[in-house]
Amino acid sequence: MRLNLLIRIVDSKGIKKSIKLFSIFFYIGLFTIGGGYAMIPLMRESLVKKEKYIDEDKFLEIFAISQITPGPIAINMATFIGYEQEGIIGSAFATLGIVLPSLIIITIISMFFVNITKFTPLQKLFIGILTGVTGEIAYLTFDMTRKMKIKVFNVSILLFSLTELFLLKLNPIYVILIGGALGLLFGKSGNGK
Amino acid sequence: MMLLKIFFEFFKIGAVTFGGGQAMLPLLQRELVVNLQWISMDKFLYFVSVAEVTPGPVALNMATFIGYELKGIVGAIFATGGIVAPSFIVILFIAMIAPKFRENKIYKRFMSGIKPVIVALLVNAIYLITVRGFKTLVPYIMAVAAFLVFSKWKVNPVILLLIMGAVGMLVL
Repeated sequence: MRLNLLIRIVDSKGIKKSIKLFSIFFYIGLFTIGGGYAMIPLMRESLVKKEKYIDEDKFLEIFAISQITPGPIAINMATFIGYEQEGIIGSAFATLGIVLPSLIIITIISMFFVNITKFTPLQKLFIGILTGVTGEIAYLTFDMTRKMKIKVFNVSILLFSLTELFLLKLNPIYVILIGGALGLLFGKSGNGK
Repeated sequence: MMLLKIFFEFFKIGAVTFGGGQAMLPLLQRELVVNLQWISMDKFLYFVSVAEVTPGPVALNMATFIGYELKGIVGAIFATGGIVAPSFIVILFIAMIAPKFRENKIYKRFMSGIKPVIVALLVNAIYLITVRGFKTLVPYIMAVAAFLVFSKWKVNPVILLLIMGAVGMLVL
């Protein structure tokens, strides 16, 4: 009887989707190597392209919101997308998914106290993976630039943001907020394209 | 008692850091190494060096490391819970009210200015990765090759990372 109930819960659509969300974010957490931005191409591939949970515009919007709110971007994005898909249960599963790989891997490293950074083949593996991450982010940048309309508004915000980041070394949050403020002043309330 | 302290320390840090894991490191160091003296500076630097090269967000890796160091696996879980909780609560709230302001004109205008900023942030991310990690010309060439392969054949990003990792072990 109780087992029947359990099977029914696991079979229900919401739980199935939540487990799916868990596995997607677990996979993303496992292969995010080299900082938070490394997961952007992965998330785009699995959530936008493959599963079609959200469209590109919404993905970028959630990314921007995750950056200007407190906490690690990866967790913010997992919570947000999880909630959009399957409510609180979905967000809990997605967040657990992104958290577990770190928790498991670092616990194992701590247990055996191995200084993996001293191990040359692993260093080479890491740099190799970083070249892949760089290539993927470069493609994403290229793709977004290509889709962006060449307008004075877009080009000026892009150049202004680059100046803020490279010359003034501003924190990305301020760069996003300034971009948003410029959008408020000069942007259009259409679909933002 | 110590477990709750660990949880709240990480909760506090999670709640006040904006801009991801890298922004969290100076704050973690000041609180945990200097103020509370829970771990030594040497250990902290070792944790950072490992956290940056292991899978997963740096902030989560640091939380697990420090939590484990202080109170074993349970400590690691409490530290991770602490760093996750503020994000989870704040984002849940935003995600709940998001449908209400998505159609708002002011919100749309604000977002219209964000897209070019994201392109700039991605360029900056590429700069930060290459400057910190690439010491010779070879990785730059590999990155260009990865870009070309990725744009031409749309390979699965994870497969590409694994291939580049293997190539790195052979040629670097």
